Amino acid sequence: MRSGRSLLSLVALSAALALRAPELSAQAHVISLAATAPSTLSVTVTSGAVQNIAAVTDNAINSFPTPVVVQTAWNVNPGQTNTMNLVAYFTTPAQAMVGGAVQIPSSRIQGRMLSGSPTAFTAISQNGVGGVGTAGGSLLLFSISINGTNKDASRTDNLDLQLNLVGFPTLPPGSYSGVLNLRAVTQ
Amino acid sequence: MPSLSKMVLLGAALMLVAASYAQAQVGLTSNVATVALTATKAPTLTVTPNASTATLASITDNSNANDFTPVSLTTDWNLTAGSSVRLIGWFATPAQALVNGTSFIPSSKVEGRVGAAAYAPFTGAAVGGVGVAGGSLQLFSQAVGSGSFTGTRTDQLDLRLNLVGTTTVAGDYLGTLNVQAVVQ
Repeated sequence: MRSGRSLLSLVALSAALALRAPELSAQAHVISLAATAPSTLSVTVTSGAVQNIAAVTDNAINSFPTPVVVQTAWNVNPGQTNTMNLVAYFTTPAQAMVGGAVQIPSSRIQGRMLSGSPTAFTAISQNGVGGVGTAGGSLLLFSISINGTNKDASRTDNLDLQLNLVGFPTLPPGSYSGVLNLRAVTQ
Repeated sequence: MPSLSKMVLLGAALMLVAASYAQAQVGLTSNVATVALTATKAPTLTVTPNASTATLASITDNSNANDFTPVSLTTDWNLTAGSSVRLIGWFATPAQALVNGTSFIPSSKVEGRVGAAAYAPFTGAAVGGVGVAGGSLQLFSQAVGSGSFTGTRTDQLDLRLNLVGTTTVAGDYLGTLNVQAVVQ
C-alpha cells in the first residue's frame, strides 16, 4: 500500500516536470557588433627623393635638377573631412640647409606645384596647416575638398624646387644639405 | 528598470565614444616623407680685365717710353684653403711676345707693373704651374687665410716696351699677354 502510494507520487512529479520543462529558457543577451575601417592617409615620394645641385652660383637662382614626384593617397570619411592638404616644411626654418657654420633659411628655398596651389615658385616660409609644418617654414602644396566621389583616392604631383640666392651673401665653398618634409593632413 | 543615474552615465559614455570617433577624423595626418637636399659650392678664382686690348700707337726705338694703354684687372676669390692668391702675366712663347712677320719682340722687352711697383720684364718662371719659364711675371701676391678666403681686388696693369738698345722694323707688332691667378 505504501509502495503503491510512493509510485503514484513519483509518476505525478514526473508528469509535473515534463509539463514544466518546455517553459525553461535562459535570459536573452544582446551582443553588439562593431567594426571600424580606419581612415588612411599616406604620402610617398616616388622619385626625386634626393636632390643635388652640383655647382651653386651665388646671387642667382639655382634650380634643383629634377622634380620631386609625390603620391598622396587617402581613404577617409567624407562626412568628417572637409579638405585634404599637402604641406612641405623644414623643421628649423632658419637652418633649412646648412654647411658648416653657414645657414641658408627656408625663405631661400622655393617650391611650386603646377598641379597644386603654388603654381609660381614660392618661398617655403608660410605657417603650418592643421598642426602640420612649422611657423615660417612651410608651404601648402595643395588643398582639395573631400566629398563622396573622392573619399578614397590618390593623386600624383610634381614638386619643383629651387635655391634662390639673389641678394644673399656669397656662400663660402662647401656642401650645404637639408631635409624637406612632406606631410598630408585632413581638415 | 534602470535608475536615472545609470541612464545618465550611459548617455555620457555614449557621448564620449562619439566625440572620440569624430576627433579621429579631424586632423588626420599622414606619414612624413622626406626629400634630401644638397647644394655644393665650389671654390672660385677669377680674373676679369676691363679691356681685351692694350695699344701702343707709335713705337719709339731705343727708349722705354712706350706705354700701352692701361688695363684694369679685377681678381675675385672664394676659397677654403691656401695661403696666397697670386696673379701671373705670361707669354706663351717668350721669344716671340710680339710679332711683326718675321720680326719679334721677346718678352724680356715687355715690362709690366701693378700699382706702385717698379716695372719688371716678363722673364720669370712659372708660379704654381701657371705661366711659362722665362716668359712670366708675378703681378701681385696677396696673403689669404681664415677671414679672407673670400675677397676681391682691382688693379691697374701698366705695360710698356723697353726698347733701350733696340731698333725695330717698322710695322704692326701683335701679341697676347695671358693673365691668370693661382692659389698657393
